[in-house]
Amino acid sequence: MNWDRIKKTLKVLEMSFEVQLLQNLTDGFILFGILIQPIIVAFMALWMLKDRGPDYSIFVVVGSGMTGLWTTLLFDGGNSITGERWSGTLEPLVGSPSSMRVIVFGKVLASVTQSLLSMIGCYALVSLVIGNPLTLAKPLMFLVSLIFSVFAFVCFGLIIASLFILIRDIGRMINTLEFPVYILSGFLFPIALLPDWTTPLSYILSPYWAARALHGAARGTLSNGEIMTSIGLLVVFSIIYLFLSKYLYRVILYRARVEASLDTQG
Amino acid sequence: MDAIQVNNLRRVFKSTIGVIKRQVKEVIAVDGISFNVSDGELFGVLGPNGAGKTTTVKMLTTLLIPTAGTASILGLDVVKNADQVRPRIGFIFGGERGLYWRLSGLDNLRYFASLYYVDTDVAKKRIVELLDLVGLTGREKEKVEGYSRGMRQRLHIARALLHDPEVLFLDEPTIGLDPVGARELRQAVRNMQSAKKSILLTTHYMFEADMLCQRIAVINKGKIVALDTPEELKKTVKDLSVVEIEVFGISSPHVERIRSLKIIDNLAVENRDQRQVLLIHTPMGPEAIPQLVQNLDGVRLGKIVTREPTLEDAYVRLVGGEG
Repeated sequence: MNWDRIKKTLKVLEMSFEVQLLQNLTDGFILFGILIQPIIVAFMALWMLKDRGPDYSIFVVVGSGMTGLWTTLLFDGGNSITGERWSGTLEPLVGSPSSMRVIVFGKVLASVTQSLLSMIGCYALVSLVIGNPLTLAKPLMFLVSLIFSVFAFVCFGLIIASLFILIRDIGRMINTLEFPVYILSGFLFPIALLPDWTTPLSYILSPYWAARALHGAARGTLSNGEIMTSIGLLVVFSIIYLFLSKYLYRVILYRARVEASLDTQG
Repeated sequence: MDAIQVNNLRRVFKSTIGVIKRQVKEVIAVDGISFNVSDGELFGVLGPNGAGKTTTVKMLTTLLIPTAGTASILGLDVVKNADQVRPRIGFIFGGERGLYWRLSGLDNLRYFASLYYVDTDVAKKRIVELLDLVGLTGREKEKVEGYSRGMRQRLHIARALLHDPEVLFLDEPTIGLDPVGARELRQAVRNMQSAKKSILLTTHYMFEADMLCQRIAVINKGKIVALDTPEELKKTVKDLSVVEIEVFGISSPHVERIRSLKIIDNLAVENRDQRQVLLIHTPMGPEAIPQLVQNLDGVRLGKIVTREPTLEDAYVRLVGGEG
């Protein structure tokens, strides 16, 4: 891939990001979800945790932030291709020279970033208002962990989007997919509380390693080496997802062209 | 080199019927069609609803895999070389879907320009030119959801031209437009043709094909039933006259009785509000009228007119009165 091609691909990514963001910002339902709802949740959470100490507060804040991230990924990522199909824009996208993977990556990145920024903003604002300051034990490591977590989540989103096309029934089970990942990834409580046989399941989920790195850096319960190990595993998972998505997208797009399912109206 | 080459192209759709005992039903949408479109030609594909026009365009624009046969655009196979075909073609499908309604027309164009790898500076300049071409200058910052149907169709055209494609596919571009909108769109198509683009236009409006196309393929039930210039197609009905009989509430037995007369070459029934018009092709001209009226006993009749056949009559004859 030459430099010119990379530049053009980045432009597609940037525009897909922008278009998704613009669409979300003109949707009242989504605006409620990213502006009003997180303020209510943050206010309730931080008010209840006011007397439990800053260490506990940051654990819950990071954990609930991750649940929000996962929900966004599942709903927005999962519907990123099917939504285009319903609006009749999938055909022009597939008929263009751009890679569908790049387009979906840009869209999911926009949704995840927007969800994350709203969550951070809301918690910071509410903690200031109610006087319960949130402190990060290792801010730099937290930032690095956050960047790699978002990247891993978006790569995971590529897989989710293709699975929603491959297995249509997954779309109907979207709500039931939310909680197992919250629990298995240790977003809100440590996985040590779960039965032993679930541990391998947690290890193969990239959100688990993201939660481990973020919680560890936020509370200072992990050494820098341990956090870097989690980040390394996030990178490994991201690479696996990227390779897998290349195969999956080739399969789903070919199958859609055989089955005439790029457009809901035939 | 031809811009488009199609050889024995066929597409079968499969669907399942039933829940427990599932049966696979096959529908042949395109049944072994062949044609070619020369460089710079405006080629029409004309046919009734469900004839296979859109399916043909979707196969040629790499959006559907043919069941059999081959097709190439500028010498590139639409299945094997889909990635190379896509940057060189533009397409629009009739209707209002395929745009981001919550975005402005301008944002839609900026997005699609990036998807076609158009350089940002080039895109800025081209978007201004295209907005002018399709008559949307001054409205580009409004959301698409506030556009009229005609404006959306014209935005589709601008989208399809962003990357300056060599071959264009316009699938029923004037469908659902008001007469003024349709006329403006046809003018835009003429402008594209004068820019030396190869264009494949599908329509079920005969006059539109006659007005714009250099050659027309008439397609019915997935097969090409005629392929020629509009003038040559008109000659196929030169030996006939058309008798138009206005009737009110005609029954099927009456239609069949007329159809079975030996003096009838073809019969089509057009519904117009509360009445129907029988379009009867006959070599006898006005002399056929007494016999026709006799066979319509008991049916309330309106105006009866005899006229020379048009291209539309040639089309009706070719598609067997289904147009």
